[in-house]
Amino acid sequence: METRRDVFQAISDPTRREIIDLLAQQPMNLNAIAKHFEITRPAISNHIRILNECGIIVIEQVGRERFCKIQPDHLRQVSDWIGKYEELWIQKIDSFEMYLYQLKSKRKKHGGK
Amino acid sequence: MAENDLAKRTLTLKKKFDAPIDLVWEAWTQPEHVSQWWGPKGMAIQVVEHNFKVGGRWKYVMPMPDGKEFISEGVYSEIVELKKIVTSANFRPMTEGVEIRALFEQDGEKTDFTFSVVHATEEYCKQQEQMGFYNGLGSAFKRFEELLVTLNKK
Repeated sequence: METRRDVFQAISDPTRREIIDLLAQQPMNLNAIAKHFEITRPAISNHIRILNECGIIVIEQVGRERFCKIQPDHLRQVSDWIGKYEELWIQKIDSFEMYLYQLKSKRKKHGGK
Repeated sequence: MAENDLAKRTLTLKKKFDAPIDLVWEAWTQPEHVSQWWGPKGMAIQVVEHNFKVGGRWKYVMPMPDGKEFISEGVYSEIVELKKIVTSANFRPMTEGVEIRALFEQDGEKTDFTFSVVHATEEYCKQQEQMGFYNGLGSAFKRFEELLVTLNKK
């Protein structure tokens, strides 16, 4: 499959967001994760695979168990992206305000309109 | 569309400008002023179209360092003199199908200004929803941010 995996895809699904929430508290194996959901184990397994491919979680083999562990650095991309978008508008309004005050002082110097 | 839903799709910024409302209105609406502040710092923009009336089109073009153009354009859907401007807006390449609302309210020699970006199209909403982007920072994100802080401390 040629699908591009990134952090935004990882969090595009509510079940995956819940899994992220769960794993953020502690690493868990698949069975423990599956117990929190009413969907089938293969479905959970598929979400885990996607999260893994998106770089959100790593899977560590400990003895016979496979533990899923979260990788917080990848999630940071999301908050960075959102920050930038909001920042853009804040900057535009700031830029307007600065210009407005320049205009105001210019008008004052020239004795009003 | 429920009001609650609208709030989820809206980014709102509020400011009090230390300038009288007629000056704020003029600076916001007149093309010779817009060209001075619309672009990011130090970036000149060109006002290609500025038909300031309901149904009128506006289009600003900003040349980018890589030779491409960043285009902002839209159509005014509501104009109430010294009070309110509503316009559709596309920012290419970045965000398309949004609505921008600018509200002006006189407060003596000052002006209360409320600026909102409403993500209107279903597709864009979906995209934003996928990113958990509700009103700047969605509840999912607040949780993620808290998680990040906790995890980084570990």
